[in-house]
Amino acid sequence: MKRFFEPSRRTWLHRANPAVKLALFVLLFVVTMLTHRIDASFYLACVFLLLLFAASGYPIWKTALLASGFALAFASASLTMILFGKGSEIWWSFGPVAISKESFYRGLHLGFRSIAFGCQGLLFVLTTSSTGLFYALMQRLKLSPKYAYSFMASLRLMPMALEELRIRRDALAVRGSGSGSRAGALLRLPERYALPLLAQSIRRAQRTAAAMEVKRFDAGSRRTYYYSSPVTRSDAAALLLLAGATAAALLLAQALPVFNLGDMRMVP
Amino acid sequence: MENRKVEPLRERRAEARPHKPDGESAERENVQLQLGPLEERVSMPGAAEPDGAGRPTREESEEPAAEAAGLRLKFPGAPDLLFRDLSLKIRRGEKVLLLGPSGCGKSTLLQVLGGIIPRVTEVPLKAERLKVPESAGIVFQDPDTQFCMPYVDEELAFVLENLAVPREEMMPRIEAALLQVGLNLPDPHVPIGSLSQGMKQRLALASALLLEPDTLLLDEPSALLDPEGRRTIWEAVRRVCERRTVIIVEHRIEEVLDWVDRVVLFRDDGSIMADGSAAAIFGRYRAELRQYGIWYPEAWDDAYGRGISGKGLDGAAPEQRITARAVLPAQESGEVSEPLLRLENFRVLRGGKVVCAVESAAVMPGDLIALTGPNGAGKSSLLLGLMGLLPREGECRYGADAPVGRREVRETAAKRAAFVFQNPEFQFVTNRVLDEVAFTLRGEAEAARNAGRRSVLARLGLPRRRTKPGSGAEAGIALRADECLNRFGLGDYADRHPYLLSLGQKRRLSVASAVVSDKPLLLLDEPTFGQDARNAFAMLDLCEELRASGHAVLMITHENEIAERLATQVWRVEGGRLVSAESTGRPRASRVRLAEGGEA
Repeated sequence: MKRFFEPSRRTWLHRANPAVKLALFVLLFVVTMLTHRIDASFYLACVFLLLLFAASGYPIWKTALLASGFALAFASASLTMILFGKGSEIWWSFGPVAISKESFYRGLHLGFRSIAFGCQGLLFVLTTSSTGLFYALMQRLKLSPKYAYSFMASLRLMPMALEELRIRRDALAVRGSGSGSRAGALLRLPERYALPLLAQSIRRAQRTAAAMEVKRFDAGSRRTYYYSSPVTRSDAAALLLLAGATAAALLLAQALPVFNLGDMRMVP
Repeated sequence: MENRKVEPLRERRAEARPHKPDGESAERENVQLQLGPLEERVSMPGAAEPDGAGRPTREESEEPAAEAAGLRLKFPGAPDLLFRDLSLKIRRGEKVLLLGPSGCGKSTLLQVLGGIIPRVTEVPLKAERLKVPESAGIVFQDPDTQFCMPYVDEELAFVLENLAVPREEMMPRIEAALLQVGLNLPDPHVPIGSLSQGMKQRLALASALLLEPDTLLLDEPSALLDPEGRRTIWEAVRRVCERRTVIIVEHRIEEVLDWVDRVVLFRDDGSIMADGSAAAIFGRYRAELRQYGIWYPEAWDDAYGRGISGKGLDGAAPEQRITARAVLPAQESGEVSEPLLRLENFRVLRGGKVVCAVESAAVMPGDLIALTGPNGAGKSSLLLGLMGLLPREGECRYGADAPVGRREVRETAAKRAAFVFQNPEFQFVTNRVLDEVAFTLRGEAEAARNAGRRSVLARLGLPRRRTKPGSGAEAGIALRADECLNRFGLGDYADRHPYLLSLGQKRRLSVASAVVSDKPLLLLDEPTFGQDARNAFAMLDLCEELRASGHAVLMITHENEIAERLATQVWRVEGGRLVSAESTGRPRASRVRLAEGGEA
């Protein structure tokens, strides 16, 4: 898994300061959230999908694999609205299901927005290392080192817990505890797995904490940082890139509308 | 230097038991403590004086590196004090080894001297005088839980950050520290996960060195390492410890003995038994060392003699011995028996790739096979493959059965072979020691009942129903489980939660629950790893007993002595292939006692 999440090339977005980038992406989320025209949301989804493939620094197949989840997000976000949303111009109805023109377009609008959200989020995650993010947050946004290092330490413990989950599964198979009624086995599942895994994780976390304190980790005291987190020209580039992408999407929506509908909150 | 009030002590003289935080207490219930009421003990500061062994008298003028006087400490919830007025002084530059049985409080003392208790871990303690070193670096036992960052350089930088070292100075210091411990990484930006366990321990040592400590505290740094890792970590320690005070807690002392200045030997109850030079201690206290399970250089000779036959160990508590020895004339090698396991062109796959290939090999009843080879060579995968837990190809016969298909393989393997994992906790499925053993028997009984019905029901397309065992069968199971627990020296703990046993007991329980149903083949994943000598020999003795009764044992081990002294075959796995399977010439019991698979 570690190898999988290593970018094959570094883009401007990788070089940008993670704290600045976080702020930019939060801003992007807000913009996306406040988009109420279906043309705009459609183009936002398209532009950020393109940007995701172009600027994440991962090979296309990996990006496509990760992005394939958006299809599900799109379906789940749009389908409920399409099938159950209110509207006056009914196209088709069956029992409680009624597809109206309004609900159909609102559903699509929701779907596009969820794709846009997904692309933006994934773009941020793929171009930011967790270590870099926490260092930037500590230095730029004064996040307490206590939280930053606990998070980084817990990230290290995660694969160990996964490995143990696998061992526990094997061990249970060896003991033949899968036998017996299905429902009973399902009910016992949390207990079977939670106890040994938690016991081990708690021990481990406690040991790690002791080891950190022995290395004189003290959240209150002054500390220096191994990685500096300067704001550089890459941040300006990232800002321009993201602003340009958003502007392009909004301009395209004006110039080449596909659906040509008004505010989705009103009757379109 | 911190003094804390000891929690109000309950006076529990009658049921006083030595308590250890890790549950080791259970094995030493027979130790009698002379516990007086609190007031008495307060007025007797010299109660825990060592009883001689030529304790060197040092001049008092010199400021010690670390000192505890009149130390008393009690873990919350424990019925008894761990230390009663313990006094120990460590001079500057001294190399001290603390020895004692598991759970006697050596590690706790080390943590007190290192300032972890009570600063980090809150434990009520009180001392007349407690001086901890101005700066101490500590290396712990577990290579996996000492780091909080993903990369080597980041981890070392973490220490420097804590010391507020300017960024420009970090890299040179990091490189110097890595060089000191012999970690020659061309680029220190390497994932810690990619290092071997031995390298991780050296990294832990490097990060301790970055604190520029005057005192190094080592809490069993080599206990979880293979021989190669053990050698390198001690080499590194020796290289860096010259002008420093070093306090070591360790069970394996071959590599340490010749350069420590002083050995302090503890009793079961946390008091000091002897304090002197290594030679003096070893001359006088060999029997104690053996009883405490310390891996001193001749431990194997003392346990097994210089011959190869597996003698029992009188050092272990007698109730740990298994009494139900099979009646087996060991040397009656006329008839050739059916192999318990035969592999031909056998390959274990993981993620579609072959991780272990075996051209041809066989396990006979009475075999004890040491499966050796470097880490990551595919030993564990081989065992998982034998249990049907990993996909596999080729032929694998369990006795006469050659199952095909994933489900059938798993079922047959589970019937014929038992697998004991490295961490026994992962195999526990119930909340009671007795149930743990009974669980295996119940599963077996159910399988036997279902076997008859299954064919009929399956033909009718009906689902299998779970049948309730009759009360008679249940009583039989309880009886058998109880008998098995007694055999493994766990009879007194039948009602306990398995997690509350000591490590040695946990391992014995996991073996007990595996072999109770007479499965002829026992697969063990490093059964003696990280154990003290007493538990390790008890485990090996157990294997010998099983072997003598016609079982076969296949164990992964890094311990050369096992391969040399006990094994009948040594299988060596290298680079995902079984490269050699040689017989050691040690006779295996020739006659099979068990009806195979116990189906009779």
